Amino acid sequence: MWTSEQHRRLVLENEILQKEGFTQFTVYQDKAANTYYASGVTSSNSGRQYRLYIPIPSGFPFQRPPMYLTQPFPLLMADRRPVSSLGLSHAMHTLPPSSEGWVQICHWRDARWHANILLQKVFLKGLIWIEAYEQHLATGRPLAEFVLTMAEGL
Amino acid sequence: MSTNDPQQQQMIRDAMKAIAERKPGRTKLVYDKTQRTIVAVAAGTQTPRALNITADDADMFAVATLSSRWLREHWPQIMRDRAIAVPFSSWDDGDAFAQCDLGVQPSPSIVQGAVLLGDGVDPPQGTQLRVVLTATKDSSPDASAFIAPDGSSHRAHGWRGASGREEPIDTCFADVQPELATRRAGIFETTVLNDKSVFCIGLGTGGAHAAIELAKCGVGRFMLVDRDRLSVGNVVRHPGGISQVGRFKVNVVRDLIHEKNPDAQVSTYPVELTYENRETIKELVSQAGVVICGTDNRPSKLLLNKLCIEAGVVAVYGGAYRRAYGGQILRVRPRQSPCHQCFVAMMPDAASDLEVSSTSDADDIAYSDRPVAVEPGLSLDVLPIANMLTKLALLELLADKPTSLSILNRDYTAPWYRWLNRPEPGTEYASWPPLSDSIDEMTINRWYGIYFDRDPGCSACGDFNSTIAAEYGLDLASATLPSSPAKDH
Repeated sequence: MWTSEQHRRLVLENEILQKEGFTQFTVYQDKAANTYYASGVTSSNSGRQYRLYIPIPSGFPFQRPPMYLTQPFPLLMADRRPVSSLGLSHAMHTLPPSSEGWVQICHWRDARWHANILLQKVFLKGLIWIEAYEQHLATGRPLAEFVLTMAEGL
Repeated sequence: MSTNDPQQQQMIRDAMKAIAERKPGRTKLVYDKTQRTIVAVAAGTQTPRALNITADDADMFAVATLSSRWLREHWPQIMRDRAIAVPFSSWDDGDAFAQCDLGVQPSPSIVQGAVLLGDGVDPPQGTQLRVVLTATKDSSPDASAFIAPDGSSHRAHGWRGASGREEPIDTCFADVQPELATRRAGIFETTVLNDKSVFCIGLGTGGAHAAIELAKCGVGRFMLVDRDRLSVGNVVRHPGGISQVGRFKVNVVRDLIHEKNPDAQVSTYPVELTYENRETIKELVSQAGVVICGTDNRPSKLLLNKLCIEAGVVAVYGGAYRRAYGGQILRVRPRQSPCHQCFVAMMPDAASDLEVSSTSDADDIAYSDRPVAVEPGLSLDVLPIANMLTKLALLELLADKPTSLSILNRDYTAPWYRWLNRPEPGTEYASWPPLSDSIDEMTINRWYGIYFDRDPGCSACGDFNSTIAAEYGLDLASATLPSSPAKDH
């Protein structure tokens, strides 16, 4: 199912994460399940901890990988409703949640994704989303106001 | 007919029928020396009425058209039974009858006809249109002449209507493929495209038009992929018509292809190109002489790009800009010219300025709670792009043959082509000079070929891993991935 080219790409992705200071994130190979994923626990500027999880799709890097925020779970909005209850939301920059109910952060839409985008940039967008989320919690205003448009040129 | 007066029309009809049947009638045709024309004169009236008859009146008889090939294929049966039933499409209130086997889109009105070998053969019950073949020694070419597989010559005479009230009709035979080829002969060898295959994905206005144009050129095999059905809103641009609404576009286009090239082999796949069905698509791509991509869906384009590069098949990608104010085409010759991934990575804005022409396009670029409207755009603004797309695809199919079109290979050398229908306000083109003022400046209604280089670090056609590793100063030779911890979500 996985090609050697994909494996080499994922090795490269992991090396870049480690070299570029994203050491809280790692790309793993689950040999038993014959899958790959990237994940890690990161801290926001305020010190709260969040776990980001990227299951690698079989079409990677040509297929956009989803990025889920799996902890805290459930992730609540300022009004105490789960973020995942919104599903697709422009205001909160989310895509449909996973079957487990994890929030899916919108990093690149399918229509903008391409294979040269590195997981490092995906995680970077995750970090920005987390900071914006905490601003949302503090003010009650939509998360989108704090990230405006997450430009492709990040 | 040169007159709209029903009475006068009937007079002409009676007279011509009488002449055709070589019987005297109440109305006759005479030559009027003063007017130097033939006139119809109704006998027995107090004031005989004379009518000018023009060349248009030669078309007053209905015409029935039969397929020569079909008749040849069924000749043994005709010889054995002396009669064979043939359904005809009746068009325009019985003004034209086309054998149903000629095309795939029959008239709503079908009449039962029969081909009879010689006079005195009874037609099958319910026959409304008779075509009688009479053996003749005259083998001069004529639309009503038929040469049987055994070499015998026959003339066809047709009648329509019930027994006793029959009217003569003109009958002609169509040898479809040779006649279709006559307008292509001299441009390129007429059979050269018979065995060429085209894979078309995205059968909107542009993709459908390109497929049908290639059918007109004589391309013999098509593989069509599109998940969408034809909607009413499509009809003002799409070749499919209002009576086709609700059908899958692949089936609509298949039938339109067969209307232009009845012998074309067309396979249809009403699916979206996704990673789940990429093996199926990969197999189809590998069979294609050229791939035409008319979808505006970037994930599909980039996946197709990858599959085409792997298969070594040339692909042409066409798309209209927003509101169809212009458009662009990218031709990808695998590992020779920049690929679509090179294009997207190097010029993301140009690659994403695409028309939102369907609800699925809108869904692809929108959050569900922020709907994006389908944008207007005129068919006439999409067709220049579709025509260019077709021409580039045709040149690829003819690449190994010397043709009258080969000279164009010196013109179409760029990988990327842009076209502008109008200097759309709010775009970088708004300040372009008027067409009439331009000498060297870029203007509307011209194709511009643009050159750019392949990306050696392209993830689709280059060596992304090595290039990026070098940029980051990484040595991947001994690098590995850690195994998954027991629980890590």
